[in-house]
Amino acid sequence: MTEIASLLEKHGYAVLALIVFLEAVGVPVPAALALVAAGAASAWNHLRPEMVLIIALSAMLLGDTLLFILGRYTGWALLGFLCRIALNPESCILRSAESFYRRGRTTLMFAKFIPGINTLAPPLAGSMRMGLGQFLRLDFIGACLYTLAFTGFGYLFSGFLVAAAKGVETIGRAVEWLLLIVVMGYVAYRVYLYWKHRKYRVVPRVQVAELAGRLASGEAVGMIVADVRSHGYYDPGAMRIKGSIRLEPNNLRATVKDWPRDQQIYLYCT
Amino acid sequence: MREATSARVAHILREDGFEAYVIHGGLRAWTKAGHPLEPVPSEDLVLLPTFT
Repeated sequence: MTEIASLLEKHGYAVLALIVFLEAVGVPVPAALALVAAGAASAWNHLRPEMVLIIALSAMLLGDTLLFILGRYTGWALLGFLCRIALNPESCILRSAESFYRRGRTTLMFAKFIPGINTLAPPLAGSMRMGLGQFLRLDFIGACLYTLAFTGFGYLFSGFLVAAAKGVETIGRAVEWLLLIVVMGYVAYRVYLYWKHRKYRVVPRVQVAELAGRLASGEAVGMIVADVRSHGYYDPGAMRIKGSIRLEPNNLRATVKDWPRDQQIYLYCT
Repeated sequence: MREATSARVAHILREDGFEAYVIHGGLRAWTKAGHPLEPVPSEDLVLLPTFT
């Protein structure tokens, strides 16, 4: 907090714009704290409040619109990328899409207050073909609420903030420890998954050149090439290996129950 | 884990008596090597909801 206030005092609007923009495009920087500090700096006449609002709103809308456009032009690929950190990326994509479809307009106005959702909402709106005008209106309302809430807090409680800064630093250290524990828990879970899935590593692999050779040489009789992706199937125009079929992993045994056991099955995902 | 889904499915199929293999590198390796592709048929597409 004190570091951000000091940076704002020295470099003012540029630092504010940078921090708010970075948070809008998904970089984990403390934009809320920067807005609080900018609000307090306005109360102390170091910054002009109207400029703080204009710059913060512009930076936020610029970052959000960039993600919206990326979502529009990359379809579900961008959401897939953002969901890669999730424990189950596929369900992250499906749940995010369905939830956003049900509550998308309201979500967009309040998403900025929810870490994680604030980054997902604009590309989701783009992927789900929300009109640009509607997106900008809703996002502007959301950005105003977020900016006014935090700068207003900083402005109104500027005197209290100096005294509270020391306390905030103590809380900040506690939050750092909490974050460390969460990260360690996540790493431990990934190690557990790696250990649990060790049996899958012994499944034989085939190189693409070898398979292509077999398919071209007429050995293809009795061979099935099966696509087990799901999130390759969200966008019209998606491609797959020529001659392959889709095999839905969640309905696997019902699909293959009548397949002859002497067939060779070659599986691929992304 | 890379190839997580295909490895899991192949493991299940092998348990059920099929001769299943994982294509190393998946679709990305196949595409990079320049082997033939085709569009996913429209009946196989899972279209997520859109606002239009």
